[in-house]
Amino acid sequence: MDTLITISAVSDSDNKAETAIDKAFAEIEKIDNLVNFFSDKSEISGINKNAGKKAAAISYETFEVLEKAIYASKKTNGAFDVTIGPEIALWDFHNKVKPEDRAIKQKLQLVNYKALTLYKNPPSAYLKKKGMLIDPGGVAKGYAADRAVDVMKKNGIKSGLVAIAGDIKAFGLKPDRKPWKIGIRNPRQKNKDDEIMATVDLSDMAISTSGDYERYFIVEGRRYHHILNPKTGYPADGCRSVSVIAREGAVTDPFSTGIFILGAEKGLKLLEEMGIDGIIVDKDGKIHTTSGLRGKVELKGNDRGNNSRR
Amino acid sequence: MTEGTTAADKLLLIALVIISASGFIFIKKAFPQGTDVLIEVNGKQEYKLPLNSDTTVSVKGPTGETVVQIKDKRVCIKESSCPNKICIHSGWIDRGAIICLPNKVMVSIGSTVGIDSQREDKQNKTIDAITG
Repeated sequence: MDTLITISAVSDSDNKAETAIDKAFAEIEKIDNLVNFFSDKSEISGINKNAGKKAAAISYETFEVLEKAIYASKKTNGAFDVTIGPEIALWDFHNKVKPEDRAIKQKLQLVNYKALTLYKNPPSAYLKKKGMLIDPGGVAKGYAADRAVDVMKKNGIKSGLVAIAGDIKAFGLKPDRKPWKIGIRNPRQKNKDDEIMATVDLSDMAISTSGDYERYFIVEGRRYHHILNPKTGYPADGCRSVSVIAREGAVTDPFSTGIFILGAEKGLKLLEEMGIDGIIVDKDGKIHTTSGLRGKVELKGNDRGNNSRR
Repeated sequence: MTEGTTAADKLLLIALVIISASGFIFIKKAFPQGTDVLIEVNGKQEYKLPLNSDTTVSVKGPTGETVVQIKDKRVCIKESSCPNKICIHSGWIDRGAIICLPNKVMVSIGSTVGIDSQREDKQNKTIDAITG
């Protein structure tokens, strides 16, 4: 996955824990091989190469990843869009180069999740227009975390945690019978002591965070980060950070991105409608939490006074 | 006040009184009364004794013997082989610590229960993973 993965397993046997963790890592690797945007051999590349030509056969796992992605795309009315690939490919966050405005505009016509068709039996996928690209980056890690947890459970582990970068899924309770404590990163960290903005206790739940501070560069005083609005092709500027908490990582991962793009007001409304919990830091640094999280999330530091929904 | 005392001098005097008083309050707050007397020599714990049980013990440091006495829920260093006897002049304490630098002896009043519960509290705050 080209990112930091942490897996914890609680067990009375070293052997059992190690076996389960090894299998969980193997599962994550398997998913990565199937859906990696950058690998020529992945099934996603197969769909992308055949865009405008024909449907490509895919595994059940890739089918599920795309199914979850389309669900999030529909629910967010395209704020999350799994076909954002052509725009993503324009941006180079490593060398900090902003693409030409003309190129960004031109590629917009290739972004539309409605032009992606999934067939269940046998599993296959088809992109209508040549040049369209699926980028499952906003759903694959959360889905992989779900699968890794399933694998650990099947191997007799009752409690554990899988963290693939910021996509985390926790199950069961820790040995001290307490839920897992997850820290949410402060999007504007100033010193060593304010790395964490809030903590939340999780058990049998997943959490994902999308932030404008992960990959970005600043040109002429403007911050260009990696969360692109599929409707404009430019970085979304309504939020600094969005964390979403739900049962499935395949839900929290794309929705954290989608809500980020929708912005605080619309995002909060959608979360409440769906009965999903979330914490949003808007562009002014104000923290918004869904009603379901009141009393469950512990906010730290100066932002405490800014919490508008206490 | 003697002649030549200015308003500034008076102010300074008041300030000093407040500072020393607040220092005393600070010490009371910073070292809550414990239940155990810990005696360490050269950083290694030699004794852990209950504060509410009168006793006298002796430990051996680099310069010789140091005798520690516990009485009426207070502690003092009764005898010491060190040259300047600063530790003995510290007198009786009921919180905090007496340190004899030359003989590398530290006598402190703490509460193990308190330390343990603090540690547990810290553990509860430990974060298992970070998102974002």
